Amino acid sequence: MTRLSDEMEALAGEYALGTLDAAERTAVEARMAIDPAFREAVRAWQQRLAPLDDTAPPLVPDPALWSRIESQMNLHPPERTRFRSGSWIAALWDNLGFWRPLGLASALAGLVLAVTLALTIARGPLKPDYVAVLNTADGRAAAVVNVYADGTVNLIPLEDIAVPQGRIIEVWTLQSREQGPVSIGRLDRARSLKLDLRNLGRPDVNHLFELTLEPPGGSPTGKPTGPILMKGLAARSI
Amino acid sequence: MTLLARYGSLEAAILACASGDRMALRAIYEAEGARLLGIAFRMLKRRAAAEDVVQDTFLTLWEQARRFDGRPGHGRAWLTTLLRNRTLNVLRGEARLDLVEDFEPLGLHAAGESAEEAMTRLSDESALKRCLEGLEEARRRIILLAFTEGLSHGEIAARLGTPLGTVKSWVRRSLLSLKECMG
Repeated sequence: MTRLSDEMEALAGEYALGTLDAAERTAVEARMAIDPAFREAVRAWQQRLAPLDDTAPPLVPDPALWSRIESQMNLHPPERTRFRSGSWIAALWDNLGFWRPLGLASALAGLVLAVTLALTIARGPLKPDYVAVLNTADGRAAAVVNVYADGTVNLIPLEDIAVPQGRIIEVWTLQSREQGPVSIGRLDRARSLKLDLRNLGRPDVNHLFELTLEPPGGSPTGKPTGPILMKGLAARSI
Repeated sequence: MTLLARYGSLEAAILACASGDRMALRAIYEAEGARLLGIAFRMLKRRAAAEDVVQDTFLTLWEQARRFDGRPGHGRAWLTTLLRNRTLNVLRGEARLDLVEDFEPLGLHAAGESAEEAMTRLSDESALKRCLEGLEEARRRIILLAFTEGLSHGEIAARLGTPLGTVKSWVRRSLLSLKECMG
């Protein structure tokens, strides 16, 4: 196993210990998402300190607690797609899942941006000019749209999307109020997709991207008709 | 026979949750609910807040069971990490305001008592206890307070009246010597 520097080792330990503030925790989680050796170091620290958790006197829950959990199970159905094991998205999402959706929405958008950038930088010169983080109604970052200098635009989902039988997902962009939303792609399930913006202006800051549920073959009116799954504004990357 | 025994192991029950087996979640709750609530209560010191975190943890477990890697013996650690992360989010996040405005009386434990208690409750055979005993008392106390009560650097500094920089460097050095000692 790669030996981490003392600094990284201590940081992993502090994350497991719990002394970091919210911003530092966010930074560590971003690091865990892209650095397997660091992720393993955090796990090792969690194991080392685990016996201390067992020293907390158990507290029998009020019977009402189970009723509350049970009554909400239907609202949180088990995810059906196995996240690619060990992939950075899986690791990232493991951590994102814990985050308070609204309170940390901005930190979260920042993290997704940071990781997306770190990843593209690591892969070479290809770096998106613009990035849009698409959030669900309850504030979870559920997909990222990257806009590259060569005009390529792609959508990368960060979580599975429940698509009802007989519906597809349509991707829209809104560049101006006068033009209204324009369809730029369709997909049957959550997967990465190259988007088609040939007939549009170049994506720019504050252009909106959103995903809606539509009938097979796409919206019959050419404008969004179904519920919005997620949306977000493009921001310039640095 | 406990409900969990029907699944053979905690890990098997977590995997059963992934396929939508509601009884499996109940089995895990019966086996782990009181332990998890105890951990959250020790950190949050408010019963209602601790129960909220346990509720969140079980719903997350139900929703995300597929993300568990299934490694034998890792189920408890996975579950505890879910709970600790959520608890720390409450302690560090905006929810802190809720805690301040929550007038539910504090638990009976005097602040800091949990640190001493945790030390005495650790098994004498555990490497963690042996290595913690190797730390200077003031530094050991900081590590215990941080973990059992979820205190941040700043909170520890305020609680002990020690400068923030000192607390940070003590924590850092204590962790590195713990690692050295435990391997």
